[in-house]
Amino acid sequence: MLVWTLAKKDLRLLIRDPRAMVVLLAMPLIFIFVLGASLGEGFGQKPDDRLRISIVDQDVAFQDPTGKDPGPTNRWSEIVQRDLNQTAGIRLEVIPTIEEAQHLVDNSKRAAVLVFGPKFSERMTRSSFMPGGVNPLFRDGVDLEQLDAHLLRDPTQLTAASIIDQVGQVTMLRVVLPWMIGRAFERIGDRLGRIVQHALRQMFPSYNLTGKTWAALTRSEPRTGAGAEISIYEPPTGSGLLGRGAQRYQILVPSYTVMFAYFLVLTVGWLFVAERRQGTLKRLRASPLSRGQILLGKLLPCFLLSLTQGLFLLIAGKFVFGMSWGPEPWWLLPVVLTTSLSAMGMALLVASIARTEAQVAIYGTLLVLVLAGISGCLMGDREMMPENMQQLSLVTPHAWALIAYRQLLANAGPPNLSLIAQSCLVLTGFGVGFIFLAWCFLRLDEQS
Amino acid sequence: MSEPLLQITELRKRYGETVAVDGVGFEVRAGELFGLLGPNGAGKTTFLSIVSCLLEPTSGEAKILGRKASTRDKELRRQIGIVPQELAIYGELNARENLKFFGSLYGITGEQLARRVDEVLAAIGLTDRANERVQNFSGGMKRRLNLGAAIVHEPKLLLLDEPTTGVDPQSRNHIFEEVRRLAGTGVGVVYTSHYIEEVQALCSRIGIIDHGKLIACDNLAALLTKIPGLIRFRLGETTAGLTERLRQIPDAVLKDSTGLGLELECRDLKTALMKLIALLNELNVELVSLELIEPNLERVFLHLTGRALRD
Repeated sequence: MLVWTLAKKDLRLLIRDPRAMVVLLAMPLIFIFVLGASLGEGFGQKPDDRLRISIVDQDVAFQDPTGKDPGPTNRWSEIVQRDLNQTAGIRLEVIPTIEEAQHLVDNSKRAAVLVFGPKFSERMTRSSFMPGGVNPLFRDGVDLEQLDAHLLRDPTQLTAASIIDQVGQVTMLRVVLPWMIGRAFERIGDRLGRIVQHALRQMFPSYNLTGKTWAALTRSEPRTGAGAEISIYEPPTGSGLLGRGAQRYQILVPSYTVMFAYFLVLTVGWLFVAERRQGTLKRLRASPLSRGQILLGKLLPCFLLSLTQGLFLLIAGKFVFGMSWGPEPWWLLPVVLTTSLSAMGMALLVASIARTEAQVAIYGTLLVLVLAGISGCLMGDREMMPENMQQLSLVTPHAWALIAYRQLLANAGPPNLSLIAQSCLVLTGFGVGFIFLAWCFLRLDEQS
Repeated sequence: MSEPLLQITELRKRYGETVAVDGVGFEVRAGELFGLLGPNGAGKTTFLSIVSCLLEPTSGEAKILGRKASTRDKELRRQIGIVPQELAIYGELNARENLKFFGSLYGITGEQLARRVDEVLAAIGLTDRANERVQNFSGGMKRRLNLGAAIVHEPKLLLLDEPTTGVDPQSRNHIFEEVRRLAGTGVGVVYTSHYIEEVQALCSRIGIIDHGKLIACDNLAALLTKIPGLIRFRLGETTAGLTERLRQIPDAVLKDSTGLGLELECRDLKTALMKLIALLNELNVELVSLELIEPNLERVFLHLTGRALRD
């Protein structure tokens, strides 16, 4: 009862302290807002160094009605895509519509986009060295227009567009040339006889002139594996000025929720120092309260405040920034609880050591920012840190809270619940340890 | 005679080589206003910390209502009200919230707490400002609330540590009135101050503490008898014969005969003055100036310690 009396009083003081409200509630929201507005859409996604080739595929399957040019069973655009995708260092992105592709190029979001028109398979099938066939070859390689394909280019990114163009040219040559040679060689057999065909085979023993694929033509082993997964372009999430619902908030909101949870150090420190300075601590000690009751009476409001802050920021994250609570929203509660426990412990430890408001402000801020920097909170995304720093960061409670939040809010697959439970246990350990140290250091009888 | 409310015996508190309280001993009875007078650093606050169960003495003991004061005795703390030198109240809370908080720390709840808070607010003259945040109060109002917070749980022993530091005369009078009223209800009061006038005006018994030692402890009248009155005068001319005649005035001692200023110490100021006037008339010596200095606490302190209180 006495503990609750003390806790109620401290809660009232904290609520009436504008500094506490600004530091604990307003500042993290402002940080999230500013960073959310200034960071790109790629923030929070793993960097991919491979060259991105974007395509629009409008190709329609073609079967020669005369039966003279039986093409492959797949659409030709799929063959080109497979070739591109199996090329090392390239990742393939399919943009669903040409309008979207044009929009991306116009806005410099893509340097170039390779477009396969609806007649691409037909034109490819009909490509031939023979008269009457489509001849896609010209001075610079493959004339895409002849194949009902073209390249959308961003005039402001000509270098990047040229690289994509060259990659496309090489692939097209690899696909169209064996097809044309194979067809021509078949015709030689038909028109000039099997002997000539055989003689040519003898002349070029390193080549299978009827192979129709690059691997077959060059008598190479076909490429194995399906290549990297072809990604389908998705328009950036988020809407409005804030970019509500953008992926970056899945990282930013928990990062700054964790970072500012430990700013409790300042609020509690100021509260303790003020209690000493005003002499009210002396009055509390002169009352029938034990040391344990006084400490518990301080712990309780700090914990409730921290809990409120954590929940408030997650709720604000959802309703202001459109953040998703992930597939396991109830698991957020133990993470908030244990983060608050460790933040409260650290706050009490600092409060038990600091003697003046200036000490709280200087050492408290330094501690909070350094730990936020080590843990990765400060830069928003822990995954941006080098591997060895990520390992080092595990000495901070922040890092464990971030690991748990990332699993719940920003994991590509289902969250790893055992890792979250482990993080919660470590956070509890930090909290208990800090409280124990605070108990050892706390001197209630000291004058300021 | 009733049992003493507070009984101090050979109380000593040592911090390393420094002796903050050195063998202090006295008693305070219920309803008594005891003043503890001493300069800053004399040991008053340390003494009060021991009596209010905040500090263990090195030796000796302080008994309150027959129980030895100890930092471990939580129950005994319920009988004590302490007004610290600092304004130990919460600026962000209003006056009523402050009193309710401190009252509830002593286990007072519900209607009883509400009634007590109203009574105390009335007693310290803050009823009309009860719901205003304390940070907006004047220094005097804060001091009054500082007192209120110490009496809301109706202690039997009230300890006041320099309770009027920096207050206006109106608030000082309020505090004095309330302290007198409390003593009238049987509360024992220990009032520490370095303001001689306050202690002299308020306390029936006074202890003088210096360098941790209680160098005098008695009622005011008895303390004043420790020093003589003083007649300070200047004459038109002074001769050796005249000085000799002045020395012969009975029950008086001529203290300073240098230059034209003279001082005559005497137990009975009125008789000595009449004899001095008669002598000057007889010798036809002109009296240029005359000042009568009654014995007072300041001079008692100077007499006992060899220095002024505010040194």
